[in-house]
Amino acid sequence: MAAAAVPVAAAAAAAAAGSEPAGPGEEAGAGPQCPGPARLARLPLARVKALVKADPDVTLASQEAVFVLARATELFVETIAKDAYVYAQQGKRKTLQRKDLDNAIEAIDEFAFLEGTLD
Amino acid sequence: MASSSGNDDDLTIPRAAINKMIKETLPNVRVANDARELVVNCCTEFIHLISSEANEICNKSEKKTISPEHVIQALESLGFGSYISEVKEVLQECKTVALKRRKASSRLENLGIPEEELLRQQQELFAKVSEEAIQAQETARKYCVRAFTRSLLSQSSLCHLSQIVCERF
Repeated sequence: MAAAAVPVAAAAAAAAAGSEPAGPGEEAGAGPQCPGPARLARLPLARVKALVKADPDVTLASQEAVFVLARATELFVETIAKDAYVYAQQGKRKTLQRKDLDNAIEAIDEFAFLEGTLD
Repeated sequence: MASSSGNDDDLTIPRAAINKMIKETLPNVRVANDARELVVNCCTEFIHLISSEANEICNKSEKKTISPEHVIQALESLGFGSYISEVKEVLQECKTVALKRRKASSRLENLGIPEEELLRQQQELFAKVSEEAIQAQETARKYCVRAFTRSLLSQSSLCHLSQIVCERF
């Protein structure tokens, strides 16, 4: 008897290209065992998992690990966007441009791994 | 959105998800398309970076499966320690809900009745159903026979009557 009841909505939302709005305490987009709080920008876990597995050295990652990584990636996007925006403001622009991201990548140590990231 | 012919290296986080995140982080800010594209690719790089590091940490720990703790350690060692507290919060919720779910589903499954008892009840029901089916068949058969006999009798009495009539005339 299957112990994990997988809500169809959660599985569908996880596989969907975009992110679904999650109701409070709902499991939309979170995958079988990891529902989360209401958050609008939820990354599709299936895609994150696929990216993790694309590494030939990686054998197995637990669902919770994928979930944690997805959340970290969301934080990463927020951080790099905000950091890049500082440069746009310095240039007195209201539009964030690619060069703002480039500047942020160059200036911030943690983003050094992104140097040379091609389009 | 997944292309069936793409290989693993073409995988990225869907653009729509990134756009939404950027929108939430920087509301009222316009973002150039090539900037968005770069963010998408940076995400891919980030995931590869963290999972690779987590994988190494996992191998050192002699475990076969990358756990959330391995990912957290990877974040720390790669300079993303500031993400850890939020990530841990979310992991905690994850475990709490998973635990509730497991309890709830096992409660629902059992309804307090052990499996052997449920099986026994099922067998009883099956036996009962087949018993009733046999009886119904019997009854139908009997009705058929009676009706047949009646019709035979009525036929033969007709014959007898016609004989008598024939003799008279």
